[in-house]
Amino acid sequence: MAEGEPTEGPVTAEMRAAAQALGWEEGLLERAIEWGYSPRTVVSALSTKLAPAQAKSFLDREPLKPDLSWMDAPTEWGVRAEQADSEMGLTVGDIMVGSYGEIPDLWTDRTEIARGSNPQLGQEDMGYTIFEKAIVWTDSVADLYERAIRDRWAPATDLGWRSLEVLPDDIEKAICQVLTEHSERAYAESAVLGRWLPEISYGFVEMKLFMSSVIYDLARHAEAFRKRALANGGGLGLQAPTDLIRGATEARSYPELMAYLFVQDSAFLTFFRHAGDIAQNQLERDLYALVAADRERLMQYQVERLESFLQAMPDRREEQQRYLAKAEVRLAREWNDPAVREPLILLLGGSRENAAAGEAALTALRRRQVEEYLGHLDKACFVRSHLHSGLAAYLEEPETAPA
Amino acid sequence: MSAAPATPELDLSWLDLYDDPTSAEPTKKGLTLDAIDIGGYASQEDLPRDMTPRLRGATARENAHRMGLTYNTKHDVWADQCRSLYEEAVQRQWSSARDIPWDTLKELPDEEERAMCQVATMLAEVEFIAGDVPGQWLPQISGDEFEVGLFLMSQIMDEARHTDVFRKRALANGGGLLQQGAGLGLRNLIEAQDFTEMSVLMHVQAEGFVQSMFRMGELIGPTPADKRIFRMAAQDESRHLAFGVMHLKHVLAETPERREEIHHYLDKAEDRSAGGGSGDVTFPPVFESLCILLGGGKDRFDEGVAKFLLLRRRQVKEYLHRLDVAGLGDRRERLGSALAQYAN
Repeated sequence: MAEGEPTEGPVTAEMRAAAQALGWEEGLLERAIEWGYSPRTVVSALSTKLAPAQAKSFLDREPLKPDLSWMDAPTEWGVRAEQADSEMGLTVGDIMVGSYGEIPDLWTDRTEIARGSNPQLGQEDMGYTIFEKAIVWTDSVADLYERAIRDRWAPATDLGWRSLEVLPDDIEKAICQVLTEHSERAYAESAVLGRWLPEISYGFVEMKLFMSSVIYDLARHAEAFRKRALANGGGLGLQAPTDLIRGATEARSYPELMAYLFVQDSAFLTFFRHAGDIAQNQLERDLYALVAADRERLMQYQVERLESFLQAMPDRREEQQRYLAKAEVRLAREWNDPAVREPLILLLGGSRENAAAGEAALTALRRRQVEEYLGHLDKACFVRSHLHSGLAAYLEEPETAPA
Repeated sequence: MSAAPATPELDLSWLDLYDDPTSAEPTKKGLTLDAIDIGGYASQEDLPRDMTPRLRGATARENAHRMGLTYNTKHDVWADQCRSLYEEAVQRQWSSARDIPWDTLKELPDEEERAMCQVATMLAEVEFIAGDVPGQWLPQISGDEFEVGLFLMSQIMDEARHTDVFRKRALANGGGLLQQGAGLGLRNLIEAQDFTEMSVLMHVQAEGFVQSMFRMGELIGPTPADKRIFRMAAQDESRHLAFGVMHLKHVLAETPERREEIHHYLDKAEDRSAGGGSGDVTFPPVFESLCILLGGGKDRFDEGVAKFLLLRRRQVKEYLHRLDVAGLGDRRERLGSALAQYAN
């Protein structure tokens, strides 16, 4: 029998002593039993050490009778989601079953209601502005989210920081300049995406989960690049050019934002995929590969979202050309910025003396970035009507540099 | 065939920016943010702000765009230990898909399954907005305090996982989502017009109340999977709460003149609903479902009420303790009436 449990009648001497110690009104315990409270409940109340007024307000009245009408909420009941892949565990995709897996083309609830639950009248408008599935959705978001979690990594401990060795001064500074730039770019993109989260309604919760993982990925990229810049006798260099990211902050709608970011997301993915060419050591090769793997997920979302968006809203196809053009012109301008271009020339060439080879290799990299960008648009079934000349020029140069 | 882009002579002036060679040393916890907070790259009080995306320590470009207003002083957003809280977040990420022993879910009495699903419905709602709120503040944090931004980005990930794990719980054991459950009190988080206002209401108050509830998860959760969910979520909430307490402490230490303003935010929030912010646990579907789980069944509802009162007492006592740690111990004397009854 638990301590304090009645041993003589419903109210024991121990219970009375405990009530007295708490300053409870004399006779309250007996009245509680008369009201119909069980001795177990009275003991629980004593264990809770309720203040005298609270104890009286709880026990000196008829016991509360729960309403329980919420148990009969007219939602789908009897759902038992099954794991489709035991390696992945119970995924968000697994719970998209029955009515809980139906993503409405138009979500109409303006509150923060969890999709699939029963609305409570009188809830406040939370100020969401995105209610159309086609604006944000692609069917792979749940899978992309779970993959992001499965493939997580930690910059502090998953990279071989103790393996770094001193590099030639120009090379170390070139790495630091590239990573100063990309640390800032990753952080700024994450902040821009974060600012859009409160715009998206609960109808598309799986997409928001994925976008949260992107924001976190970019945070780690910003962190890892900064750490590398400060770990090997270098430091931070000149801040990144701001044309490109400024355009993202100017976006007036989510489709504009995504079309605009499509250009840089594609270019950065290609860059990190091939950044092994500028890596000076295993740490950098590992870092760039991890970043590229994260960015693959973002690019898959970009491609699939654009395709499904334009399928649903074909009248908005031409409009996208404008956003892409705006991003292309800025990207091309930034590619010509000395602090963007020259460190890559040094890293690809290996030294100042070998700058010509570095320039050729950079031209090849830029060409690949443009080709893959057009390839990504192609996958999204989008034909770029007039690629900006600053990017198109790279396609006209025969590839002579080594990959 | 057109010529390739013209190749200008190399300028290389960017090579001349490194007058502070830095070699951060990895620690036992790897190369942490604390380890790279060194020399000229360390966080400082009075750095000139330029409102560009430049992160602290990088050399400014003369032609950089401003990106909109950002906070002008460190103490507007700073929390001591935000770097270690971020690192802890990165190290302690978990997977709702694989780190919860879903196979320990078992068929429960209908009323208990419904009660657990109602609590999960409420939490899937609460955690959703907890991810939106930090997102909207990211652009206003200067790159000079980028560590605060990183921490908020990790919080967004944490809250996504919480939204997802409670939704999974509702749909994994023969149940479903039930009544929209958060009641009133959540919108004040997204209404905040100042970072400290947001942090006090969300990190300290709302997440504090949720944390106190999660820490009673051993009593609330009917299965090992449920208990594990509460434990893992509580671990994350502890970081968010620590950030809020440390931020408030920093603000009160650096700008004591803001004390009354902060009390005013809390006055408003405590008057709203039954303590605001955390989702209203006195909202009948939530109150009743918690009492069924705490009592161990509908027939032991009264016992559940007694334990619910214990939960409320813990929530309020821990709330006051955290405010005390932050330097706002006088909150006890002006606590809103809905909470004051539990403060003794």
